[in-house]
Formats: sequence, C-alpha cells, structure tokens
Amino acid sequence: MNNPSLFIPCTVDLFLPEIGEACLQVLRKLDLVPVYHPEQTCCGQPAIHAGYVKKAKASAKHFIEVFGGDEAVVCPSGSCVCTVKDRYPELLQDEPDWRSRAKELAPRVYEFSQYLVDVLQVEDVGGAYAGKVAYHESCRVLRGLGVSEQPKKLIRAVKGGELVPMQGAEVCCGFGGEFSTNYPEISEALVSEKAENYIASGADVLVACDPGCLLNIGGYLHRHHPDKPALHIASFLAEAIRDEKR
Amino acid sequence: MKIKSEQFKEVAREELKTRHTRAHLDVIGLFIQEMREASMATFPDPSAALELGRAIRAESVERLPELLEAFEKKATANGAVVHWARDAREANQLVLNIARERNIRLVTKGKSMVTEETGLNEVLVENGLEVFETDLGEFIIQLLERPPFHIQGPALNIPVQEICDLFLEKGVMKEPTLEPVELGHAARIFLRDKFHHVEMGITGVNFAVAETGTIINVENEGNIRLTKSSPPIQVSVMTLEKVVPTMKDAMHMLRLLCRNCTGQKIASYTSMDSGPNRGAEADGPRELHIVILDNGRSTFYRDPEAREILRCVRCGACMLECPVYGKIGGYPYGWAYSGPMGQVLNPLMIGQERTQDLYRACTFCGVCKTVCPAGIDHPKMFLRYRAHDVEGDSRYNATRRPWPEAGFMEMFTWATKRRWRWDLGIKAVRPFINRQVEEGFIRGLKGPLEGWFKSRDFPAMPRKTFRDRMRGRKE
Amino acid sequence: MSKTVKDEILDRLKVAPQKEPPPRPMMPPLNELALNEEEGIEKLVETLTLIGCDVHRARDSEETLEKLTEIARAEGLTRILASEDDVVSPLDLPEWGKKSNVEVFTAKDCRDREEFKRVAFEEVEAGVTGVDFAVAESGTLCLVHDEKQPRLVSLAPIRHIAVVPVDRIRPVYESVTDELFAAGGKAPSHLTFISGPSMTGDIQATLFRGMHGPKTVTVILVGQASS
Repeated sequence: MNNPSLFIPCTVDLFLPEIGEACLQVLRKLDLVPVYHPEQTCCGQPAIHAGYVKKAKASAKHFIEVFGGDEAVVCPSGSCVCTVKDRYPELLQDEPDWRSRAKELAPRVYEFSQYLVDVLQVEDVGGAYAGKVAYHESCRVLRGLGVSEQPKKLIRAVKGGELVPMQGAEVCCGFGGEFSTNYPEISEALVSEKAENYIASGADVLVACDPGCLLNIGGYLHRHHPDKPALHIASFLAEAIRDEKR
Repeated sequence: MKIKSEQFKEVAREELKTRHTRAHLDVIGLFIQEMREASMATFPDPSAALELGRAIRAESVERLPELLEAFEKKATANGAVVHWARDAREANQLVLNIARERNIRLVTKGKSMVTEETGLNEVLVENGLEVFETDLGEFIIQLLERPPFHIQGPALNIPVQEICDLFLEKGVMKEPTLEPVELGHAARIFLRDKFHHVEMGITGVNFAVAETGTIINVENEGNIRLTKSSPPIQVSVMTLEKVVPTMKDAMHMLRLLCRNCTGQKIASYTSMDSGPNRGAEADGPRELHIVILDNGRSTFYRDPEAREILRCVRCGACMLECPVYGKIGGYPYGWAYSGPMGQVLNPLMIGQERTQDLYRACTFCGVCKTVCPAGIDHPKMFLRYRAHDVEGDSRYNATRRPWPEAGFMEMFTWATKRRWRWDLGIKAVRPFINRQVEEGFIRGLKGPLEGWFKSRDFPAMPRKTFRDRMRGRKE
Repeated sequence: MSKTVKDEILDRLKVAPQKEPPPRPMMPPLNELALNEEEGIEKLVETLTLIGCDVHRARDSEETLEKLTEIARAEGLTRILASEDDVVSPLDLPEWGKKSNVEVFTAKDCRDREEFKRVAFEEVEAGVTGVDFAVAESGTLCLVHDEKQPRLVSLAPIRHIAVVPVDRIRPVYESVTDELFAAGGKAPSHLTFISGPSMTGDIQATLFRGMHGPKTVTVILVGQASS
C-alpha cells in the first residue's frame, strides 16, 4: 500500500493550500507516492450541515466516483472524514447502490494522523522542533473519529519537541461552521477561552488536525495575539522535517 | 411558563455580558464535570454501565404503550388513582379539580419540570390556591418570577444581595444577612411552616416502574419527602416517557441519574411510592393521584428518530458538558427545557418556527451525545430539523430557508459535481472575498459572514488553489 | 362508546412504527456483591462516613442505649421522637428516656395526625428510627414506612439517629428491592432510601446541610460479623 490518495477539503483547497503541500511532503518523506485526483471538489459538509440533504447527495456521489477505487484516502480534515464515513450512508439511504458504495468506501477513508500511525504504523516521521507544543482536540477528530493518541504520538516523536498539557484541550473551539458567523458572540466566548488556555499552557505552538478549528483559532490569534502560531499537524511535521535537515 | 425561545440571540448576548452568569457557569461546569467522571468510575466498567442505561431507556421508549398500561394496572391495584391528560390544559384542570373537590388552599411543590411545562402554578394561583415551590432554588425564582438559570441550580446566578432583599421584602426573614447558610436557614424556617400545614403536595416523577406500579423521586433537600409525607393528598405528575420496565432497571437508572446530575453516587433521598397509606399511618397521603401527561409526545412518537428524545431522564449531563450552554446558561433557551435536550425537545413540543435558534446554535461538538446516559443522539436531530426547514416540512412547523441561502446552496452543490464548475465558482468569488486584504488577511467583510470578523481575521484566498498548484506536477 | 383519554393516547402510541429494542449489554457485577460479611460492615462504615454520617459502634442493645445516652448528652437532647419499628421497639426507648432525662414521644402517644405533626415539626430535637436495610454500596439507609415507621420521624427533626443492626446490611440496592418488591408479594406503600443528611448548594453554590430534612445523620451500628 504505497499510493494513498489525497482528499483535500475545500478549506485547504481555497484558503490553506500549504496544508495540502505539507501532507505531500510528509507522505513523501515516508517514501510514499501520494496520488491527487484533480476532479475532486468538496465533500458537501456545508450543505449537509445546513440541512440541504437532497442537494448534497450530488456532492456525495461525486466524491464516491472520484475516490471509490482508492485503497486508502487520506484527508487533513477530521470533520470531512466524519462526513464521508457517518453522513454519506444516511444521505444515500434511499438509493441502495450508492449507499452500499458509500459504506464500502468509508473504512478506507482516514484522517491524516490516523493514517500515519494506524495504517502506516509510523510514529516518528523524523523532524526536530525546539519548543513546547499544545494540542487542541478537535471535536470531530476526538469524538467523531476517536482519534487522539495518534497526533500526540507524532508530536512526541519529534526530536526536542515537548507536548505540554493544555486546560480544556477537549473543549470545542466554537467554530461549528456557520455557527461561527451566525452566533458570533458565543463563538467568540469559546475561541477566546481556547486562546487563553493555549497561552496559559506555555506552549510555543498550538497544533490541531482540523482546518476549520485552525481557521477559527488562528483567526482569533491573528487578531489578538499575532505572535502565537496555530498549525495543522501536517504543517507542524513538515516544518519539523525541514528544520531537521538544516 | 411563557415561551421566549424566539429571543434566544438577544438573551444569549445579555448573558454573555453578565459577569456572574459567566463566573458561575465556569465553576459549576468544571466542578460537577470532575465529580461526574469520578462517580462514574465507581462502576467496575463505566462504559458498560452507560451502555446498559442506554439500552434500558431505548427499550422503555420502544415498549412505551405496553409499559404505560402495565404501570397503570399495578399502580391502580396499589390504590393509586391514575389520570391521563392529553395536553397541558387538561393536566392543569385535573390537578385543580382534585384540589377544589377537597377544598385545598395550601399546596407545596417539589421541583418538577413537567409542571413548568404545563404552567400549573399559575392556574392554581389564579384559582385562589397558595402554592409554594420548596426546592430552595425554585423557591427563590418563584419569588423573583424568573425562569430557571440552570438545571442543577435554578438560582445559582442570583447574587446574595438580591436574595437577601427578596427575602426581606417577601417576609421570609426579618433580619438582613448575606450569608448563604443563613439565607438557607431562613428559607427552611419559612417553608417548614408550609410543610407543617400543607393540604396537598404536588411532585414530579423521576421514574415510574411498570413492574410494580411504583413512582420514584430523587432529591437532596428533603422538600419532596415532606411534600409527600405531610399532607393527606399527594399528586404526582409525570410525562409519558418516565416509565421503565422493572425495579432493577430503575435502580440502575438511579445510579446513572445521580452520577450524571450532581456527581453523587446517589442523592440524599430517594422515595418510592407504591400506592397511598394502607392503614392508620400517622403521616403520609390517604390519596395518591398520578397524572400521566401526553402534551404532543404521542404525536411525535410516530417518528422513530424523534421519539428518541423521550429516552431523556433529565440528568442534565448534556447541559453540563455543552460548550454553548456553558457560556450562556439556561435563560436563552426560553422554556422549561434548556441545553441540548431542550434543543431537541422544544422544537417538537413548541414547533420549529418558534425554536429555530435552538437547533442552529450548535457547533456539533458531539459531547452531549457522548455523555448521555439515555443514548440520545442530539446532533442527529439538529440536522433533521435543519433538513425539515429546507424542505418546508409542515408536520414540524418548519420554515423555508431564506432565498439567498437556498440559492447559494443550489450553486454550491452544483459546483461540487464537477471540478470545472468548482474552479469557476472560486474564480467568481475570489475578488469578492478578497475585497479588502491587509498583509494576506481579511479583517472585515460586510454581509452574512460579518459576524466572523467581530473578533477574528481570515486568511485571504490565495491566487492559486491547491488544485492549481498541482497542475503540471507528476501526480 | 367514546374513547377515553387514556385510549386516545395509547392508540396513538400503538399505531406508530415499531422498532426492536436494542439488546442489553453485559455489565460486570458491582464490586460490593463480592464482599463478605465483615467487608460489608467495613464498606458500610466507609460509605456512611463519606456521605457525612456520624458512625458509632455498639455490640448489643445495652451498648446501643449507652451510645444513645452519650449522644443525647453531647447534643443536649431533651425531647426526641421515636418510631416503633422492630429494631427500635425492643430497646424500649420510653423507658430509657425516663432514666436519661429525655422525653421520648412516639406516634402512639399522639391523639391524631395533627398532634403527631406538631410534635414532629415543633417539639422534638431528634428522630430515632431503626432501618429495614442498610446498603453498603453508598451508605444508604432503607426504611419501609407503615404504622410503626412514620415518615416524619427520620425527616422533620433536625437530627436523625438510626440504629442499624449489622444483619440488616446488604451490598447493593437490588438486594433490597428484590426482596421488598418480590413478585406475588405486596410492595411497601412508601420506601425511603436515606443517603446522608439533607443538602443544598442552591445559593451561590455554597453547600450546606439541613436544608429541609435533618442536618445530621447519626448511625449506631449494632453487632459485629458473626465469624
């Protein structure tokens, strides 16, 4: 199994393409030849969440057509992986053929850190980082996929890096997609607390496995604490690999 | 209780600005969460214990009609009188009639969400009865005429100064004090007089055991025991879903309820009634009336997913863990039921058009579903309600979404079907998104997304998507 | 014949699509079920203490009354209310009271409900009861209420003193309910599980005892493990 297919969520495609680049870099460091299907678009999560389930079927079907033949589909977004695994079969329940294709594909779709640790059985991707790292447990990654140890193992394996505890690491950052724009004050109360907890942890960098959380926390930090970085696990590892080479 | 769910956003904003609300919510949240985890850990296998609770409640709901019939039969054989009420009005009328027929003037009540749902107190008071809430928190908010702030502590956010002034004003005490213990003591003395002379006691029901016809109540203060034991008439009101199959099931749910509600293994008092007094007891009720309330539940029961909310045992764990509730407290939800369980139940009870914020003010963090000892999947129902709105499903009083959103979603899903469409859409949208960029970041964007920018920046859309970057590369 | 309200509600429930209830998972038995008699006593002492009860030990009825005298003296008790259940009755508290300068009331002494309530709410400083069972799992005292065990004795006075013979100790709640609610028998009309003193934290999350029920629960554990 050496051709993981990369599923690039719309957040990364449109706003944070460097996360996608980082995924490629890390996978190549592990001597893999990642494949990118250019016809991919979006898993349809925004539509599903907003209740447009009938329309979102089109997004689901396109996804299944693009990725259906892959041995392993790897994605740097926990929430998108959850959408594919949990929502697609429900969405397509009145179309049995599509439904069974969705169910058949689901176990082959992995969140990035989950793929590295559970499938490739790799915890040490090489890399060095001189500093303290705090980890934010994205809701969809932790509770949606049960992924928590995997990113932490990857972080701990980085030479010099120290994973520090952070208060409220498992508490929601307040993103929730449209929640962040429709209930901005509540969202702000949550993200500001997350930022405070990050700063109080003494960490030099905050790492997370979901681009939505990163846009949210990163966006708040950029406005209020521009010196405090928040990185995707793939970006953190890619940088650590680059830094070690130097 | 007046429904104010349409004011969710304003009330939430108010609560976010209120210092005590925030301070209390932070403390309660942390404290009880830890106690809950520690008390669940006293089970040899906490996750099996949780799963068993979920199976018991799922079964209770699936066998609902059969269990209700069995419960009524047994309770009646025990000497209780079982009444059925289709809606709030009927339930209130039943209780009022029981009181009138016996010339009742003084009533004490245990904390009961169902009686808030039906607005029982107002009806009794309008008809000349004196009704006292006796749970300390409920007593305070009854006097203040306010809704409950939090399920475990209805008056936790009320500052002691306000309680002191209130108690002096209402004659609960004569001397001022700001000491919580002394205030509590004043309430004890005041209410003790009511307990002594009470003519009819009204309680809710935590569990109704089908096997034995028993109703079970759980409390820490003793006000429910006093309400049951002192007067000659006891009326206990329950909604349909409170039945559990067996006494063993009830004992297991009792363990889960107490651990998830207050982090205790068990509350100070559990009282179980299987009928009224048998003989010449010196205290206790000569008559036990049980009112079983429907109020729309048998209607949404027809929906196998919606009916899952009936598994709820009112432990409040979902509220304790919900990040949103943890910032805004109970007031914004605007009715008897708040937090995630209220967000699922209220749209079914009140109608979606009045409760839109309830199923939209959710980040889908999933904690509610993770901790729920009754096995309710709250996020799934929020998605359902949103889908009902999109489809304009009149059975749930859903409202069609505004055309800009519907239009956007139409285009969005159209674009996801083909990469060229997607790229076209991005090209079209990029100049609008990037109208005002400062050093690679957007600091403000007028329109439906402006809420984001009140406290956050957003990266500008790069000129090249990831896909663009991959063009010309080997993969 | 017109439908009753009950039938209307039940019929709506019955026509709804049926779902198979999920299977019940296996759950390992609670730890307390494995305790022997001596361990059960220890566990009860531990759980009673944890939830805020004062625990005294006595070997027999004589020592029980001695303990009661100690407690009465320490608390300055002059008037108590006692039930007439099968644990407390043999102690002949009215007789003890005469010797110890404590006035002992029982329901029998009261002319009617009104007088009984007055005594319970206004006259006495403590209520003394036995128990039907005591559950080691959580330090819970189980009282079946009937004419010999009025409810208010363990509820209205500010202090509750409970005499608990060790042979009444059970490991878990079901050990009690299985017996009391056995099929074919008559369920008790009222059963209370008392787990510690009355409590609240409703004012600014400040915890205190004795909100409406007793502020203190004092247990006299009588006897020892038979081995």
